[in-house]
Amino acid sequence: MPEVTIDWYIALSVILFTIGSLGVLLRRNAIIIFMSVEMMLNSANLAFVAFARYLGDLDGQVLVFFVITVAAAEVAVGLALIVAIFRTKKSINIDDMNLLKG
Amino acid sequence: MNAYGLAPLLLLFPAVGVLFNGLFGRRFVEADAKVGERWSGWFASLMAISSFVVAVLLFFTLQTNEFHPVVVPIMDWISIPAADFYVPWAIRVDTLSVTMMLVVTGVGSLIHIYAIGYMHGDPNFSRFFTYFSLFIFFMLILVSGSTYLVLFVGWEGVGLCSFLLISFWFDRKNAAGKAMNADAGRKAFIVNRVGDFGMVLAMFLMAWTFRSLEFDTVFETAVEMFKTNHIVQFGLFSAPISVVITAITALFLLGATGKSAQIPLYVWLPDAMAGPTPVSALIHAATMVTSGIYLIVRSNVLFEIARESGPVIFGVISTPDLVALIGASTGLLAGLIAFTQFDIKKVLAYSTVSQLGFMIAAAGMGAYVAAMFHLVAHAFFKALLFLGSGSVIHGMEHGHHHLLHDHSHAEDHEAVFDPQDMRTMGGLRHRMPVTFWTYLIGALALSGIPPLAGFWSKDEILAHANEHAQVVYVVLALAAVCTAFYMGRQLHLTFFGAPRHAAAEHAQESSRLMTVPLIALAALAAVGGLLNLPFLTTRMAEANHHHPAGVFVGLESWLEHSIAAFELTEAGTIHLPHTPIVLSPVVAGISTLLALVALGGAFYIYRNKPETAADPDPLQRIKPLWWFRILPLETFYMKFVVPPFKWLADWLAFAVDWNFWHDFVHNNIIRDMFVSFATFLADVFDKFGVDGTVNGIGSLTKGLAGAIRRTQTGFARTYALGVFLGAVALLVYFLWVLY
Amino acid sequence: MSILLSVLVFFPVLGVLAILLADRGKGESDNLIRWIALVTSLITLVISVIVLASYNPAVSGLQLVDRVPWIPAWGIQYFLGIDGLSILMVLLTAFISVIAIAASWSAIDKQVKAYYTFMLLMEVGMMGVFLAQDLFLFYIFWEFTLIPMYFLIGIWGGTERVYASIKFFLYTMAGSLLMLLAILYMGITNGTFSVPDLIAGRAAFADAQHILFLGFAIAFAIKVPVFPFHSWLPDAHTQAPTAGSIILAGVLLKMGTYGFVRFNLPLFPQASFDYAPAIAVLAIIGIIYGAIVSFPQKDVKKLVAYSSISHLGFVMLGIFSLNTAGIQGGILQGVNHGLSTGALFFLVGVIYEQRHTRLMSEFGGLWKAIPLFSVLSLIVVLSSMGLPGLNGFVGEFTILLGSMGAESLGTHPWIYTAFAASGVILAAVYLLWMFQNVFMGPLDNPKNEALRDVNRRELVIFLAFLVFIVWIGIAPSGYFNLMDSSVSRLVNDISATVMVGQ
Repeated sequence: MPEVTIDWYIALSVILFTIGSLGVLLRRNAIIIFMSVEMMLNSANLAFVAFARYLGDLDGQVLVFFVITVAAAEVAVGLALIVAIFRTKKSINIDDMNLLKG
Repeated sequence: MNAYGLAPLLLLFPAVGVLFNGLFGRRFVEADAKVGERWSGWFASLMAISSFVVAVLLFFTLQTNEFHPVVVPIMDWISIPAADFYVPWAIRVDTLSVTMMLVVTGVGSLIHIYAIGYMHGDPNFSRFFTYFSLFIFFMLILVSGSTYLVLFVGWEGVGLCSFLLISFWFDRKNAAGKAMNADAGRKAFIVNRVGDFGMVLAMFLMAWTFRSLEFDTVFETAVEMFKTNHIVQFGLFSAPISVVITAITALFLLGATGKSAQIPLYVWLPDAMAGPTPVSALIHAATMVTSGIYLIVRSNVLFEIARESGPVIFGVISTPDLVALIGASTGLLAGLIAFTQFDIKKVLAYSTVSQLGFMIAAAGMGAYVAAMFHLVAHAFFKALLFLGSGSVIHGMEHGHHHLLHDHSHAEDHEAVFDPQDMRTMGGLRHRMPVTFWTYLIGALALSGIPPLAGFWSKDEILAHANEHAQVVYVVLALAAVCTAFYMGRQLHLTFFGAPRHAAAEHAQESSRLMTVPLIALAALAAVGGLLNLPFLTTRMAEANHHHPAGVFVGLESWLEHSIAAFELTEAGTIHLPHTPIVLSPVVAGISTLLALVALGGAFYIYRNKPETAADPDPLQRIKPLWWFRILPLETFYMKFVVPPFKWLADWLAFAVDWNFWHDFVHNNIIRDMFVSFATFLADVFDKFGVDGTVNGIGSLTKGLAGAIRRTQTGFARTYALGVFLGAVALLVYFLWVLY
Repeated sequence: MSILLSVLVFFPVLGVLAILLADRGKGESDNLIRWIALVTSLITLVISVIVLASYNPAVSGLQLVDRVPWIPAWGIQYFLGIDGLSILMVLLTAFISVIAIAASWSAIDKQVKAYYTFMLLMEVGMMGVFLAQDLFLFYIFWEFTLIPMYFLIGIWGGTERVYASIKFFLYTMAGSLLMLLAILYMGITNGTFSVPDLIAGRAAFADAQHILFLGFAIAFAIKVPVFPFHSWLPDAHTQAPTAGSIILAGVLLKMGTYGFVRFNLPLFPQASFDYAPAIAVLAIIGIIYGAIVSFPQKDVKKLVAYSSISHLGFVMLGIFSLNTAGIQGGILQGVNHGLSTGALFFLVGVIYEQRHTRLMSEFGGLWKAIPLFSVLSLIVVLSSMGLPGLNGFVGEFTILLGSMGAESLGTHPWIYTAFAASGVILAAVYLLWMFQNVFMGPLDNPKNEALRDVNRRELVIFLAFLVFIVWIGIAPSGYFNLMDSSVSRLVNDISATVMVGQ
């Protein structure tokens, strides 16, 4: 059985991040975009934890807790926004939302 | 006896008079005219008399203290320590000032009493006496000041009183509709100010040259400086002392010509006759107009130095000679003008100008005592003549009123009756005997008939002129002839012959209040010569050069203590400003003869002419003489000084200052140019320049923004892509560019 | 250190606050406001007398100094002080303010609150000008005085008040800008704006002193006004309300002459000496020109306004004689002019209130109708004419005495004196003309018969003027004593410097 080195974790993290970003850029459903964002965050978490383990340093792990906390808060606010938008627009398709258009 | 300390009372009494009448007089008179007038008039008179008493006490004090001059200080006036300038209020008691005090308060008191009668019934009775007391106050300051500056206070103060009293009836209008009294008062003040201009300049020169304005200091320093040929220096200015003193005396002369009505400034005095007659008697005959003579006599040291300095003025003449010349020519000119006057007071006015000319001439020749003697004698007889003329005017007005009452309809055609016109008089000697007899004494005294006062005083001047300045003698002798002639003319027109107007027929003698002062003055005019009988003085001088203490012998030795001899040269020669006079039988004889001839001639010429008030004067046939009626200098001023000044003032005020400077330069040029510049900025520069730039920047921004806004799709993923690309770009930058 | 002067300057602000609190609107509390203003100015007068009592005339330098850093970075201080050059001006300001407030009692009936507020603010500004010893502070007060006066003329003035007030404002403002530049230059080169320090360090800007002198001189000359900068004066005076004219003539014009004495002479002695003949010539032109131009005026107030140009010419001549007699005479004559011309404006105002005209042709023979008023007016006129025994004479005499021996006027100073003295004749010409036309002659205009004589308030104001007119006339020594040591220090300073400079 091959040894699971740091390279594997990084590769997974990169793949997750790429999936997440593509999701953010390409999908239209706000919920999906939201989930993609979560995926990007967690890919970053993965990288942090891996490096922490590799370097024998706790800083990375501490940071992960911060990110999880912030992500939780973000989810709360973000979902609330989506619900609010859905109530007015009856849609969560982000192409229907371009009020910032210059 | 020592009454020096009482000197301030001299000024206090009239000051109280001013306050009393000024504050309460009107209320008294309005409450009860009769009692009020009595209070107001007598209070003022009492104050004048009190001052006279003080003056008499000072007179005796001087006698018992060997004529020792004393300066009584009252308080500081102007004191500037840093500039080393100090002038106190102080009274100088010496023989000269006491002489003037006695004249002012003595004659003044008599005229006060007279005025109670004369001003009776005038609605502004108390105002008149306020002014009168004020005049006495200032006149006493003038003669008693111990410095030139205090003298000047009185000098201007009497000018003010003169103005107020001349324009006392300020609401009177003459036939031409002009407020002539107010005009005359103003004229007097302004002409006097021209003279004052000389006075102040003289004082500035003295203050810097002698570092003092105090008489004693000035004279002592002047003599010292002259002896050492001092070069006067102040600031960057420097000049020899002789030039400076000549300038000072010449400026004094200008002041004296103003106050004492000499050529070229005599023109105010005849007009001043518009004032009430007691004013003419007190101010314009006896006292104020003589202050020019007082000034010159007081400054005799300076004038004598100027004489020693020689002909400094344009290298032609010295100041005292100029003084004598001006005095003599004024004497003659005024005498000639007096021929042509019909107004009884105007004749006397020109006569006053003429007599003042005598005094000025005497002072100019160095005959200071003679000048003072004539001043005193003139005060007696000229005050008498004026008061007499006032009595005549009163009588005529009375007669005129009488007529109006009798047949008021008959007088309608005669719009203005002039009670002063001698042509309407005649034969008054029967109607007004007291006035006539006293007037006769005055007229004869003025004409120089012995043994009346005028004979002695005038003769002293003539004798001196005969000895020292023949030209002046001839001119003055001619003036004396004129004097006798116009007085003869006046006497005849007024008192002799037949009445030429109904008013003269009904004229009435004046009240006792007026005739008693006339009698008193007539007595003084008759015996005034005793003040300085030549032989008496001469004998005293021969006996022992010294004056017996406590006895007044004559003005000569009395005034010697003020007009002192002093040394002017290193050699120590004593320069006497005056020579003891000796009666000159030839001169006296000639002038008496001339006077009698002139009087007789006048009586002969006017013996039965004019017959009616409308007849021409017999002298009117002599055309050149009548030209003097068109007053030579008066015409000159009225044509060549007053209108150009008014024109200049109008031009400067309206054309230059208002139209040009105010309207044109400020409004048209500065303001309008600013406005048009601003309009240019607003309408042209701002619109196309500033607005163009600003709008340009605006549209540029707008265009740019239009281009850039395309990037703002509003789609979240566009922004996300932007972020992503940015992150990639940063990565690229960090990985490849930085390392 | 003493806060006395600060109290003196800012006390009227309390009055302003009281007025603002007391106002109940709709003119109900007008009388209360008048009383508050009067009492405030009276207390200020009392404070100024306390200042006088604490003032030691023997000391030549600044006294009762109140000095704290204000903007230290630029060397600016809050610096008040008093000496012989300003003490009389301070007293005059306090006196004239009371008079002006009392004089407008019945003349002002619209916007009373604003009027008295401006009057009291005016007093603050004027006091500050005379007491500030820091150029920056001085400039602030100097400009501050413009504002209340602008409104006093512009709101309560005559028919052309707006024109007059704007002209007044712009004219004065334009002049003071150059002064501001000069102040900044000196302050920056020396690192301080305090006047005594600048005088001590004047060597630093000695090379530029001629230009700096002109910067100050133009500002002051406009204020005085020196011929030919007088064009704003007739407008401002004729359009201003009576009290405005009294303040304008009484105090504002003196700010100009005071400025010359306080700043130009000690800061730029050599320039003062060099320019003295030129300024003296302008002063003499002003004396004669002002007097001649006064004569044909038809409006009495305009006549008095033009006569100010003539009187201020004397003051300028005295100051630029650069000797003790001249400068002391000049300062005293400033006070005299404030008294006699202030009184003249007041008397014009009293008649105007009743007749609503000031044309001489409308009057004549007033003496018969209102004798007491006429007598009081006569004394005021005589004072303005320089009759000895009254104040005007003392001032003019000392000024001319100074000019006669002035080194600054060359080898023949008597020429200047003689021309200036001719103004004495001309003063008699126009003042007597005015007096005759208004008070003498027949009383032939029926409207004048209804005139009332002075009431009690007017009599008190007149008497207040007369007390000083007579006092200075017969016993001016005390007044000279107040400024003697300061002026002689100034003169010694100038002559020492000029000698070195020659």
